[in-house]
Amino acid sequence: MSERPRPIEVTDPVTITVDGRQVEVQRGELLIDACERNDAYIPRFCYHPRMEPVGMCRMCLVEVDTGRGPALQPSCMIPTAPDMVVETTSERVTKAQDGVLEFLLANHPLDCPVCDKGGECPLQDQTMAYGPGESRWVEEKRHYEKPIEISPLVLLDRERCILCDRCTRFASEVTDDPLIHFINRGSNTEVNTFPGDPFSSYFSGNTVQICPVGALTATPYRFRARPWDLERTESTCTVCSVGCRVTLESSRDRMLRINGVDADPVNWSWLCDAGRFAFEATNSEDRLTEPLRRGADGSLEPVRWSEALAAVADALGSADPSSVAVLGGSRSTDESAYAWAALAKGVVGTDHVDAQLGDGLPAAVFDLPGATIDEVCRPGGTVLYVGPDPKEELPVLFLRLKHAAQRDRVRIVEVTPTSTSLTPYSAAGVRPRPGELAAVAEALVAGDAPADGVAGVSADDLRAAAAVLGAADGPVTVVLGRANLAESPQVVLDAAAALSALPGVRFLPAVRRGNVRGAVTAGMAPGRLPGGGRLDGDAGWSGVWSTVPTEVGADAMGILAAAADGAISTLVLLGADPLRDAPDRALAERALDRVGTIVAIDSFPTPSVLRADVVLPAAMLGEVDGSTTNLEGRVSRVRPKVTPPGTARADWAVAVELARRLGATWSATSVEALRDELVAGSPRLAGTTWAELEAADDGVLVDLTGGGFDPGTPAPVPQVDSYSLRLVLSRELYDEGELLGRSESMAGLSRTPTVGISVGDAERLGVEDGTPLVVRGERGSSTLPARVSAGIPRGTAHLVHRLEGSDPITLLSADEVACDVRVELA
Amino acid sequence: MGYLDGFAVTFRKWFGTRSDTGRRITVQYPEETRPKPPRFHGRHVLNRYEDGMEKCIGCELCAGVCPARCIYVRGADNDPEDPRSPGERYGFVYEINYLRCIHCDLCVEACPTEAITETKLFEFAFTNRSDAIYTKSELLVGDDGRPQQLPWEHWGDGFDPAEDTSGWMRATAPSGDASFEGVVAWSGELGYGVRSPEGGQTLEQETDDDHDDGHHDDHHGAGH
Repeated sequence: MSERPRPIEVTDPVTITVDGRQVEVQRGELLIDACERNDAYIPRFCYHPRMEPVGMCRMCLVEVDTGRGPALQPSCMIPTAPDMVVETTSERVTKAQDGVLEFLLANHPLDCPVCDKGGECPLQDQTMAYGPGESRWVEEKRHYEKPIEISPLVLLDRERCILCDRCTRFASEVTDDPLIHFINRGSNTEVNTFPGDPFSSYFSGNTVQICPVGALTATPYRFRARPWDLERTESTCTVCSVGCRVTLESSRDRMLRINGVDADPVNWSWLCDAGRFAFEATNSEDRLTEPLRRGADGSLEPVRWSEALAAVADALGSADPSSVAVLGGSRSTDESAYAWAALAKGVVGTDHVDAQLGDGLPAAVFDLPGATIDEVCRPGGTVLYVGPDPKEELPVLFLRLKHAAQRDRVRIVEVTPTSTSLTPYSAAGVRPRPGELAAVAEALVAGDAPADGVAGVSADDLRAAAAVLGAADGPVTVVLGRANLAESPQVVLDAAAALSALPGVRFLPAVRRGNVRGAVTAGMAPGRLPGGGRLDGDAGWSGVWSTVPTEVGADAMGILAAAADGAISTLVLLGADPLRDAPDRALAERALDRVGTIVAIDSFPTPSVLRADVVLPAAMLGEVDGSTTNLEGRVSRVRPKVTPPGTARADWAVAVELARRLGATWSATSVEALRDELVAGSPRLAGTTWAELEAADDGVLVDLTGGGFDPGTPAPVPQVDSYSLRLVLSRELYDEGELLGRSESMAGLSRTPTVGISVGDAERLGVEDGTPLVVRGERGSSTLPARVSAGIPRGTAHLVHRLEGSDPITLLSADEVACDVRVELA
Repeated sequence: MGYLDGFAVTFRKWFGTRSDTGRRITVQYPEETRPKPPRFHGRHVLNRYEDGMEKCIGCELCAGVCPARCIYVRGADNDPEDPRSPGERYGFVYEINYLRCIHCDLCVEACPTEAITETKLFEFAFTNRSDAIYTKSELLVGDDGRPQQLPWEHWGDGFDPAEDTSGWMRATAPSGDASFEGVVAWSGELGYGVRSPEGGQTLEQETDDDHDDGHHDDHHGAGH
């Protein structure tokens, strides 16, 4: 099987005898792992190194002599102890393995030719290696309706199941979605869901990956290929910023499957379903495949690359540098971000560059002292969680935090506007009113609160949370993200400034998009140079580039405001869609109306792309070579597996070609050269050259010391309007975004939009679940059914961004710190 | 006689007979053809069951085993209302490139459902590469179980669809059953391709009862 034993450090060695050899192993480590580490692989089905052992399948029986003579024992349940004598290949062991396999095959249909697992099946492989050549079974086998859909993404063939308990253990132990379980008894035991309750977990795809037979199959891969058709390459997922290691698997130049790889510092082999199945969007019919240019009649028409590039070079070169702006770049690779930063700042000479769209966190969060995921999840540690629901935005980080809280005694203090999926695992939680996060952070640091509470949080709750922080064993780590799109990101910076007073505190910036950190580190943020240097400090880039901008530029909202005033003549959208994602729809509309030339480099015809004057098709995940930086600052390689459709190119190639056309002296012309140029000029990126990344499977951490954190001008505390509810606008994992909306199996999985209100507000309004409510803001209104939840504090309305049939971002305005809405009966 | 012994062969050939069989070797091809050996490997056919269902389940074992890599197969879900093959999956794409095929018959050995077999047909010549790639619709036998004659195939007098198509001789018994040795095992679907036993074999049809444990054929559905 593909799983490897967890890497461990031998701190307390004991000597045991394995097949006559004396070996040193860690005391208390499971025998099955200890033997595998010492070149004595023991066959197994139910044991998974990332889950608790159960000893269900009996395949790992070995002879163990602990002083009372050898006895057959399951090696996945036995901890190592001094002077153990283990036989893994003796006659008794071989006979036991043979017998176990014969039992397992008694009810297995052997329909290998039609089974998707055939060819990579642990049951097949181990039957060949350890099993009987022939079956003595003549009785009728079990028959079930096949396959049954246990979720929209996972199908179950119960006949093939060998009842190893892996999927059910995963669901209850790893994700706490105990929606599948064993039912019935004896030879009728089967895995199934509860009636009318599908296995709708965000992590359901993992059960398909860990199933040792073909009982669980995923709809996107079912019957698409056989294992021997597939070509694999190891890469990094860029759907969110956790940066899980994956294998990209393709056949005939078409991406067919993604599986998780066990990267110990990051994803422990788990993936979320969005990361696992969103690759389907790369095969979408909607992909942009050729350059487009707006013709005389106003429609976008296909043109040749040379013509499109000439038009873009002309628009960039003829404009005044301060009227050129670049938005986006947080979905591509570090090298693409660097190439675009170099083009914008070093060739064109503008600093109006922002990798995000005002919907993330300002670049300053990366100046805080950094913590890795492992440091946040340090056993016995204390975590202050400020940010979005991790299960919705950074699902695998949720798994790590949950594991840390449940099994490694980590105490979590949650500071979020509503309850999250982390709430059941938190030691304490406070729900500050949107816009007043900083005041709560200050109270938590001070450890005391005025009697009437702070920012809608009662004094008792605050003291309880502060007590957990005060009892911390060692420094507190803070997960810092933006929980609320309707709240100015400045509020998060103000809170971070307050929390910096905690002794030895370190921060894990919970940014959302795949490569925000890499893009900012490569210079895609106003006022910054690659490597984290400032425009005003001399970072030496003037020696590499032909020019360096002299004035600090505007961030995304500033760029859009300037564009709306007519101050931007050329706007480059690098995979950015301000019309959908900028937290001020009216401003984005006005901005795109007034810009002279819009250049869009994107993979899909988004609403913003359709407004562009020149559209260049971009290669996307699985098609580009380079590296990506995850939220903790771990740089790892992304590798191409398939060729982009049509003539689509990688972003960096477009930037390099444009630089050449603009007559630049800067001329790195390959990903390797771009990477090494970026690293050579950035002391904080030391150790991440191309060659070093190629050698490191789990990625390389950049320097996380931080320094020079400037929170900027604190946001004013917004007045509370007692007639209104304060808006919390969050995201969900399954939305109608560009990727998931275009993935065949994922589209349509997003929830029906609702407006969440507290129990108290529901009583006041006299509504219950499902009652239609009008949410009215200054910018507009929408009617949605009510969802009454105990997890929402009084005075708060909760909406979700980008669900089918709801567009609450239109309610927001860029210059408000928080957004108040009236919620009334429709 | 010394050196004259050697000429004995020459003189026998001169009069048109082969010493061991007494038959003439050189024939006036293509007007005349020689009988083909019983296990001759020619172009493939994709077979059907008696009810017209396709035998191919798209498992790609033939493509996996092919040393010349000339077979391309893709499976797809059967429409439960209108299935192409028994079971869940059918061969959605099936292509053989005859510019590459070496007629080794490993695909026939690998096939778990006897879907792909070889005929004795070898007289086909193409004028372009795309004709050389036989697609599923060209390989599949017709409703009568006979292969389809393609425009560039020569079905001369020497080709008898009843004798020369489809019947499949197993070189090994299913499931390695030793008692199977020496028994002619074939599937003469739709009446075609039933062959005479070879030397040392008994004429005994394989039946389900005889070799039940060798046939966990779940593509037959639940009625096992």
